[in-house]
Amino acid sequence: MTVAVGRSVARSDGEAKVRGVADYGVDVVLPGMCHGALWRAPVPSARVVSIDAEAARRVPGVLAVLTGADVENRPTGISLCDQPLFAWPLVRYEGEPVAAVAAETVEALEESLGLLRVELAETPAVADLASALAPDAPLVHPDWASYASLSGAQWPRERNVVCELFSDTGGVDQAFSSAAHVVEDTYRADRQYQASLEPHVAVAEYGAGRFTLHVAHQFPFNVRDRVASALGVRPSEVRVVGHHIGGGFGAKLDVSLEPYAALLARAVGRPVRMENGRSEDLMTAQCRENAVVTIRSALSESGELLACDFDVVFDSGAYAIDAPYLASMPMFAVGSIYRVGQARVRCRAVYTNSSPTGAFRGVSGTYLVFAVERHLDHIARELGLDRRELRLRHLRRSGEKMLNGQTLADADILRECFDRAEELAPFSSLGKGPYRGVGMAACVWLTNPLAGSAVVKLNEDGTVGLVTAATDNGSGAVTMGLRQIAAEELGVDALDVVISMPDTDVSGYDAGSQGSRTTRVVGMAVKAAAERVRERALAVAADHLEISPADLELAAGSVQVRGAPSRRLQLAEVAKLAAAHGGPITGAGSYSTPMPAYAPTCATGLLFPVFPTPTYHLHVAEVEVDPSTGNVRVLRYIVVQEVGRVVNPTGVVGQIQGGVAQGLGYALWEWLALEGGRYRQRTFESYGLPLSVDVPRVEVVTLEHPDPESPYGAKGVAEPPVVPVAAAVANAVSDAIGAEINCIPILPEAVLDALASQDGAGARGVHLSRGGAGAEAGGA
Amino acid sequence: MMAPVAEFRSACSTEEAVTWLAELGADGCVLAGGTDVMMQYARHELGPAAFVHIEGIEELAGVGRDGVVRIGALVTHRRLAEDAALRTSNPALADAAATVGGWQTQSVGTLGGNLCNGSPAADSAPPLLVADATVELQSRAGIRRVPLEEFFLGRRRVDRRPEELLTAVEVEPLGSRQAEVYLKVGRRGAMVVAVVGLAARLSFDARGAIAAARVALCSAAPTPLRVRSVEQALVGLDAALPGWQDATSPSLRDGIDALMHAVSPIGDLRSSEAYRRAVLPGLLARAIEICRARAGVGVPEG
Repeated sequence: MTVAVGRSVARSDGEAKVRGVADYGVDVVLPGMCHGALWRAPVPSARVVSIDAEAARRVPGVLAVLTGADVENRPTGISLCDQPLFAWPLVRYEGEPVAAVAAETVEALEESLGLLRVELAETPAVADLASALAPDAPLVHPDWASYASLSGAQWPRERNVVCELFSDTGGVDQAFSSAAHVVEDTYRADRQYQASLEPHVAVAEYGAGRFTLHVAHQFPFNVRDRVASALGVRPSEVRVVGHHIGGGFGAKLDVSLEPYAALLARAVGRPVRMENGRSEDLMTAQCRENAVVTIRSALSESGELLACDFDVVFDSGAYAIDAPYLASMPMFAVGSIYRVGQARVRCRAVYTNSSPTGAFRGVSGTYLVFAVERHLDHIARELGLDRRELRLRHLRRSGEKMLNGQTLADADILRECFDRAEELAPFSSLGKGPYRGVGMAACVWLTNPLAGSAVVKLNEDGTVGLVTAATDNGSGAVTMGLRQIAAEELGVDALDVVISMPDTDVSGYDAGSQGSRTTRVVGMAVKAAAERVRERALAVAADHLEISPADLELAAGSVQVRGAPSRRLQLAEVAKLAAAHGGPITGAGSYSTPMPAYAPTCATGLLFPVFPTPTYHLHVAEVEVDPSTGNVRVLRYIVVQEVGRVVNPTGVVGQIQGGVAQGLGYALWEWLALEGGRYRQRTFESYGLPLSVDVPRVEVVTLEHPDPESPYGAKGVAEPPVVPVAAAVANAVSDAIGAEINCIPILPEAVLDALASQDGAGARGVHLSRGGAGAEAGGA
Repeated sequence: MMAPVAEFRSACSTEEAVTWLAELGADGCVLAGGTDVMMQYARHELGPAAFVHIEGIEELAGVGRDGVVRIGALVTHRRLAEDAALRTSNPALADAAATVGGWQTQSVGTLGGNLCNGSPAADSAPPLLVADATVELQSRAGIRRVPLEEFFLGRRRVDRRPEELLTAVEVEPLGSRQAEVYLKVGRRGAMVVAVVGLAARLSFDARGAIAAARVALCSAAPTPLRVRSVEQALVGLDAALPGWQDATSPSLRDGIDALMHAVSPIGDLRSSEAYRRAVLPGLLARAIEICRARAGVGVPEG
């Protein structure tokens, strides 16, 4: 019987957020604060000929104008040091910072930016994936050979290729030459904007040789390290203080405005605040990358997958950011859920003259799983096989290995996912009726293993303090999960666990809110820290009660004698006793997940080699297509997700529903198209996030297979529910209209075109559906 | 340089508003709910010397009935969507109002503003056009009445002089054996600017065939427009006959042909030109089907 874990404990920041009194990054105001902004390049590819800042500097109230000529413009990065602070002399994407201005008022700032004279000589842009790989393509980075690699990894480089992953089990070509069937498809996906309500914001101060940055950031320690390297100072000279985050979804893992705010603060000697406008935020957010995936499968007469040739080209934009790591992701999309026989996998990231892409919940998994699952449906259609049956025949079993050589010890959970979904709604019973369809998609996902730490202290009033740099990116992982784990360990009410906000001066290292790691990894650190507090509390109480610690337990805010709970000491008394006998009670804990074994020789360019603490997922979508508009309505959405252990039922369901909503947006509405390297959509009006009226109730089935290495068995939950959504929806739409939909997002025009090609010869009839989606007869 | 901050004048009466508008001429800008004006001002598309704020003029906020329905310029979209009498007399207008922006926009955005903004995508325009709407424009010189069809001059251009205030819109209520509908195409279920909008008001004869038709569109040309050629083609169509919605059935085909001739849609961020054309036939057919059902002159099969 638990006191906190497994219960829907309320989040500690909930009321403040609902009442509008929580302090987000945008709310930070410091005495003497002035305002900063960037002059961003208006074209995607150019050479800076000259910058005349005289008029801009003369505007009353302007405090500083900085350009690439005024700073040490050293290139830095996460994986590859290829990104300077300022475009100088090359502009590589539209929106790239060319100058930074600080002023007393926003009005003076705007006027100054308008008076900055930047002469640019436009150069031909590398506009898309195909032209990036063309033999005569201009180079986005003519000097790439000189860039330092932070991972230490070297890989073959040619033209605009950032990096390449290559893996080959051997035997692929032989399998194709003797195959009964060969099915080949090409899939495309556009970008997706994280679209957090709070745009990027940073407030920086400089004093006594140190920088302090106030941020709403998923990864404060990365801000510390990235700002330090960009400015050429030691990380310990940078302090990063976290505030409530108004959404991040991966967009707030790398730095954005922070280095510029720090530079300006040092230049003007006052705190400087910077905030992206919405279009600015959209254009520079490191969106989910666009990509082209080609899959070719060799099959036996009966539809056995014999071999797979899988090729991915994705758009890194103007800089590498995390692309060399993301290039490994196909190793976990192919051959992980379904046996594919022999496999050859190649994944290349390429530079283009477009805004750099980066981390977004589910990273490249969204379009990789889309490609794999669409391809399976296509195979089933070509060969006349049942779609579910084809999947079950190839489903991985416990003990089998993924392409990276990592053993999936518990892959039988996959079969359980399929069975549970079938119990809830038999697959063959869904998608019946004109223009209706059903689709399914499965995936395996990791729980990010990177390091975390925590300090737990017993406060003098008997409450528990929890100090950690783990951030709550809105998921509740800190404000519910970590509090619940500390409460469970110490037998106190979760409401009596008080958490700190992140501060890199105060807390031990934390790898940030990414990959659903917080509950799992930091939870282990909290558990270890709390165990130390418990041991000490029991020892102090045992001394006082003159009883063996072994006969004591922590419960209901007290230390009590086992079997005689009336003999007890309140934790407040224990804390006071401890202060007088050896000092206050604190405990520290640290953790990182051990890397599972894998086969290092399975691939070259494998920077992200394993999927630690894997979880298993099956999604089923039922849709209806409006044949006169091509709009898609999602009628029913089912998720079966393995979570290890449900720590907070409300939190788990909320994260799954949110992930599905974000995935539906990716599949159907959100659209970020590039034209000549520039985004066509630049506002929320044209970008089109899903609304509550568009998203159905998500039916959630959680499976619990506790991980003995995890706190109370909990595994990562929040990232993966976005991953299989586009795949399930695209399969359902294809089923509904009897034609293959191979592009994300699924635009109504593409649906109509597919329907017209079904009608044949362009003679499009008038399609009517009854009570369908799309053209709404409005009315309340 | 920053644009100088505009003066703000809040009028208490129509007379006061038109006096100021006469004084300001082209330097004045009428401000009601501000859902379009404030965005255009923020984007520096407008730079008036003064805003004439009219939201407080009570006499412009009423709905009256005297054979025609007279809707004050300040009636909000939310009121149009919810007003029980309007939902009965002009249901397509209520349909359209309920699809304008989100709840907040509907609660402050006004009918007069929607028309004066001159957007080709104005949701309220097609239902007003099929109700033979007339707009009333008041200035110090007096009152001028303009048929709505003539009010729209071009993209973002309407027949309102700077010194005039749009005070009311007069529309015909539905007659017997009439029904109407507004259909809007957008990628999401709400909060979209119309990719295409179509309103139809159909009169049926005793058998259930179309006796008279009015059809109007938005987002299909530089202005919202009535498509009389379509209206003529639809007369006599009997949607109770099997196969009427077959694209080869004569009157529907003629209606669709006329429709495709009448429109001149553009391609923009919301949709391509080809898509706007592609959805129109189905929209027209669905409008006929819904009107038949609403008129109670035969329930379509299925």
